[in-house]
Amino acid sequence: MRMKTNNKTSIDGEGLILFNNVEEALYGEKVLKAAGYEAKLVAPPPELRKGCDLAVEINLVEKTGIERLLKEKMADCLEIVPVKGKGSLLEVVRVTDFGEAVMVKAGNMKLTFDKKSGTIVNISGGGCPDIPSLHADLLDKKLSEAVRPKEKGYTLCSLMLDRAFVESLDLWKNHRKE
Amino acid sequence: MLLICGTIPKDDFPLAVGPVSFDGASLLLNGAAIPCTQGTAALASAACEVAEYLGAERPHALLVGDRGTGKGSRLLYEHLIKNLSSLSPGVVVLHYMLPIMGLMKKVCQSVEKCRRRPVMIADAAAMYAAKAAGLAPQFDIFTPDHSEMAFLADPEASHPAYVSRHLFESDGAMIPELALASYKQRGAAIMLVIKGATDYIVEYGKVIGQISEPDIPALEAIGGTGDTISGMLGAFIQAGFPFADAALLTARVNRLAGQYARATPATKIREIIAAIPAVLKDHVNKENLSSLSERSMLNDRN
Repeated sequence: MRMKTNNKTSIDGEGLILFNNVEEALYGEKVLKAAGYEAKLVAPPPELRKGCDLAVEINLVEKTGIERLLKEKMADCLEIVPVKGKGSLLEVVRVTDFGEAVMVKAGNMKLTFDKKSGTIVNISGGGCPDIPSLHADLLDKKLSEAVRPKEKGYTLCSLMLDRAFVESLDLWKNHRKE
Repeated sequence: MLLICGTIPKDDFPLAVGPVSFDGASLLLNGAAIPCTQGTAALASAACEVAEYLGAERPHALLVGDRGTGKGSRLLYEHLIKNLSSLSPGVVVLHYMLPIMGLMKKVCQSVEKCRRRPVMIADAAAMYAAKAAGLAPQFDIFTPDHSEMAFLADPEASHPAYVSRHLFESDGAMIPELALASYKQRGAAIMLVIKGATDYIVEYGKVIGQISEPDIPALEAIGGTGDTISGMLGAFIQAGFPFADAALLTARVNRLAGQYARATPATKIREIIAAIPAVLKDHVNKENLSSLSERSMLNDRN
């Protein structure tokens, strides 16, 4: 459960939540603030505008936790986009075969699993505070039994780790079939 | 004083500051034992090993529990903003914390108010916040890995998850170009210690050193091997090593620790840290540190 904070800092978070209509935007902001997130109603720049002309500014790095919260509270939104640059997350992954283990790299996150058992033997990279927690939760768990990182993480690092996890699970399942 | 700032993965760990030590399995702070796993605990533990070997003052740590909500991170930022001047550290290492650009700006303002400006090092999300907020040139050293180097070189990315694909896919040979680009775009600190198959030491955008031996590919898979670099670097600089010498020595010691620990992709970071004292004993002559007689071990190109 996210704790409520009293921080009044106006955010400069590089992220926007876009909504279909004004009512959804107002509800989304209310839900986020009640959960302690910094959030502010803003007019999205024309190049990002979709749906209505009201958006909620957030700290983009908190995308994973915010998406999960909005879903739990049935607060519909169109998408969460960065204010600058391209709007899509890095999709590409890289795979390194160490022989007994395979490392999958997604963005700044790397997950390594044992080929035979499918056990997660290491997680490296990242920098957000949910990563050491996910590292402790996932280490020595089997890929097939572990909870996906995006179900427990809060940040973009956990989303990258989730990408590595999903790819690792696919690789391991295919390896077992061979 | 070396001050290490970061979060640990416990919700109920209150903000604490004080000298730290490493007992081989846990980081000890004010009577609390924090498991030495990937993250700031690994960074501080590695710093402890270096400080102890050099006979230097124990590192201090400012730690708080945060499993990702950002609540602990905000407390940490606020504490730093209010108390940095009175803590008067010689070296500050900022590490795992929720990247909050507005608060990082205030931290940098507090740095400028210090009677003696500390050496500022950032790794992990503290580095993300510094770069995204346009504060990178105010830092002395960043310690990115290759993917984070792509992020620093991408003028539009506010987090490595949004880095341009062509930058992410650039191979290790492109690191000098990425480093120069990041420096020109004000996305880099004065010095970069870039971890990878080859470690690069970059100053003002130019490569001044490379380390690629011993070659231990498994280190990339082991969570915390970047954290140990940041911790050892901070400890060497606090002990008086020039930045470049500290960076080159750190990169070499980290690789040797992997070799001594017979690292595999399943090795845990505490095993690497446990090997650091033996590496230092064998390769760093502490009786003659000022002249760095072991300079020949520092740089592949020497």
